[in-house]
Amino acid sequence: MKVTALLIAAVAAVATASSPVLATPVPGQPAPAFRGVDVNGKPVSLADFRGKTVVLEWNNPNCPFVQKHYTSGNMQSLQQKNTAAGVVWLAINSTTESHSDYMAPAKLAAWFGEQKSAPTAIVMDARGEIGRAYAAKVTPHMYVIDAKGTLVYAGAIDDKRSANPADIKTSTNHVAVALGEVAAGKPVTTSTTTAYGCTIKY
Amino acid sequence: MRTLLTVLFALLTLLPGQTAWAQSLPRFGAPERHVDAELLAATDAIVPGQPLTVGLKLKHQSEWHTYWQVPGDSGLPTRIDWRLPAGFTAGPIEWPHPKRLPTGPLVNFGYDGEILLLTTIQVPADVPVGSRVTLAGKAEWLECKDVCIPGESDIALTLPVKAAAGPSAHVALFEATRVLIPQPLANATGQGTIDGSRIRLSLALPAGKTASRLEFFPQHEGRIEPAAPQVLKREGDAVELYLTAAQPVKADAKTLQGVLVANGGPAAGGWIGSIDLPLVAGTVAPVSAVPSTNPAAAMSLVAALGAALLGGLLLNLMPCVFPVLSLKLIGLAQHRTHSGSLAAHGIAFAAGVVLSFVLLAGLLIALQQAGSALGWGFQLQTPWVVASLTVLFFLIGLNLLGVYEFTLGSGIGNAKAAESLTRTRDWRGSFATGVLAVIVASPCTAPFMGAALGYAITQPATVALSVFAALGVGMAAPYLLLTLFPALLHKLPRPGRWMELFKQFMAFPMFATCVWLLWVLAQQVDAGGVGLALAVVVAVGFAAWALGLSQRGAYPFRWVALAGALVAALAFAPLATSDPAAVAKAASSDDWVAYSPEKLAQLTSEGTPVFIDFTAAWCVTCQVNKRVALTSDKVISGFAAAGVVRMRADWTTRDERITQALAQFGRNGVPLYVLYDTKGQPTVLPEILTEATVLAALDKIKLAAR
Repeated sequence: MKVTALLIAAVAAVATASSPVLATPVPGQPAPAFRGVDVNGKPVSLADFRGKTVVLEWNNPNCPFVQKHYTSGNMQSLQQKNTAAGVVWLAINSTTESHSDYMAPAKLAAWFGEQKSAPTAIVMDARGEIGRAYAAKVTPHMYVIDAKGTLVYAGAIDDKRSANPADIKTSTNHVAVALGEVAAGKPVTTSTTTAYGCTIKY
Repeated sequence: MRTLLTVLFALLTLLPGQTAWAQSLPRFGAPERHVDAELLAATDAIVPGQPLTVGLKLKHQSEWHTYWQVPGDSGLPTRIDWRLPAGFTAGPIEWPHPKRLPTGPLVNFGYDGEILLLTTIQVPADVPVGSRVTLAGKAEWLECKDVCIPGESDIALTLPVKAAAGPSAHVALFEATRVLIPQPLANATGQGTIDGSRIRLSLALPAGKTASRLEFFPQHEGRIEPAAPQVLKREGDAVELYLTAAQPVKADAKTLQGVLVANGGPAAGGWIGSIDLPLVAGTVAPVSAVPSTNPAAAMSLVAALGAALLGGLLLNLMPCVFPVLSLKLIGLAQHRTHSGSLAAHGIAFAAGVVLSFVLLAGLLIALQQAGSALGWGFQLQTPWVVASLTVLFFLIGLNLLGVYEFTLGSGIGNAKAAESLTRTRDWRGSFATGVLAVIVASPCTAPFMGAALGYAITQPATVALSVFAALGVGMAAPYLLLTLFPALLHKLPRPGRWMELFKQFMAFPMFATCVWLLWVLAQQVDAGGVGLALAVVVAVGFAAWALGLSQRGAYPFRWVALAGALVAALAFAPLATSDPAAVAKAASSDDWVAYSPEKLAQLTSEGTPVFIDFTAAWCVTCQVNKRVALTSDKVISGFAAAGVVRMRADWTTRDERITQALAQFGRNGVPLYVLYDTKGQPTVLPEILTEATVLAALDKIKLAAR
């Protein structure tokens, strides 16, 4: 019957058109796949890095907590040490274009240059799609993904919740610890912490 | 004819609009500081051996805030590093209860306006009377608006040491602050139950305490998802607050500690208390995201079923349904003698209606449980469904005009069809008419239906499905009654030539509905999409014409009809893949502000009254209300006089944030009209608006503001 067929078609259309809300990714589960574009307009896809350890760093240069780890050189040295060892480091900026913190790709790239920071790629996520997929809340929110594509760490960069660079030397860097354990083939002991920092400007 | 009115209204809104609303935040050169800090004492002197209460007063500039001891999704708690003379020791900060501060999809816990963070200082017994003591320290905080800046200030206070102390000049502020500091909730028993991501906080409230709104602020980070809605269910003194556990759940999470803020806290006439309850694993049924601030009155099942039945009845009068059903009734009038098989038709029709409603509702519930933010009318939020309906209504119109013959729906004016109506075999036609009636009726959320649907969606699936079934029974009732009691048919007018004319006339409401549907489509896709839909309509019209010719004996036209249908199908394909989200929503055609929860929170926190029009292009009632009650000069000037900001939440295409906002009011469909007063208290206005209703509501706001 024509009408019944139409109803079934309509129902099917609605069913396929709706996408379920993404759940918070939890360490131990596969990291959500994503595709993005870096500051140079080059596509970046998580799937391309299968077989390598990947670090995701949520970044916003205007955030005092991000500045804490860059003015001190803490983030840069972590990036250098690990990219040299074959780790892929993706700095992701999810600030929406309408926010005053937004930086155009060239400007953002220049800021990383000034900081002498060299992540594998600086990913533009102005629509917040990658941020929402990872339920990223703050800058810097840090994630570590192992070679098998499993999320092994999600949370804060370290255990001293402050914007004061002086606190870095007395703090434990959760990301460094997790990367060390991954490199040694050990399970990550502290796989989740509460991230601290500025709200991501979605 | 309401349909024609609707189309007229629809066409009016197509007139070129004024500038779209756009607001950018004022940019000013960042001032040095947005928070002023000052150290105060409750007494005018220090007494040896007696504890002294001091307070850090933080005064926030408008829109700026600082954080509670647990800051929520981001932020830092304020802290004080004391530099005290030997023998003096400072206790921890005694925090007043915080409030929820939403920013985008995230929620922080903190303070705005002016607050006092108390600290108890232990004074040594040997401090000499007559001396002066300076208490100093450094206060550090994070001050945020949409950007965050770390703030710090050196604080100091010098007091004389006396044998006895009197109140200081700030004693009133200290007194006012003490009532905001949560104490353990006495005589309250309860426990937390955790089931995956769901947490249920069950509590028996102490005598004399009630909670119509309840918020929980967790003492531990990473245990409760700060931004998740908190759903309150209550029965007498027993309350249940449904929370969302942060993932992953920590193995050592064995307690639920934190602060409960009821009815807005002491400052708003409510109460506060801290709790420390065991958290045990168990079963927690999912609840829908109706926050505890839900002002929608709880509805009993009987009332909901009754409302659904009545709503279903009224659906028969909706402009899009009426022609189909009236023709079906006339068809009955022609066959008033065949009573036996009539009952079968009536039952088949009713079954078609009820099953379709249950099927649609089941799908809606299933999708909601899968996490999609959908609401009633979701069918019409997909462009190609709207386009399909346009084609369907056009085909029905052509059929009514006699371009081609098809027994579906009317079954009159055609000897063969009329004959087959009495054949039991054709009960399938009646079933299909029932299904068709539900498809065309779904956008017309009749009065009473909104509340019943809102109720249904917050209930367990079985209750929800029975409410929807009641809706179907209501809709099928008139037809069913006539077929079961054919004697009633004699009350209908006698058949004759007028029926053929009436049938042809009914084609025009159908075409008018097509115009309306195309207008809806125009809100969802671009001009190219609408053009494509119209091309499909032409091809379908051609196919129907050729089909009619072949039915009249010109058989070769069958192939022409087939070709026309093929062209229609090909033209339709790109429509099916069009993405509604890719097309910007139509700019508001007047000075209405586009809805956003952040903007709403900002306005209500500033004490600005706000009116929200939850609407959709495909909602007939909404369009009528808009023309009748919301756009008259009188109402517009009434809004202006009351200083009300008018917000429009346009649900024409799927919008999760609007679906969530509707859920806050226990609703699942549009229209919904909400007026927030200067204290941020919402009032829900009726679904059928008149000028008088709106003006009366505005008067109340003005009175309340005084």
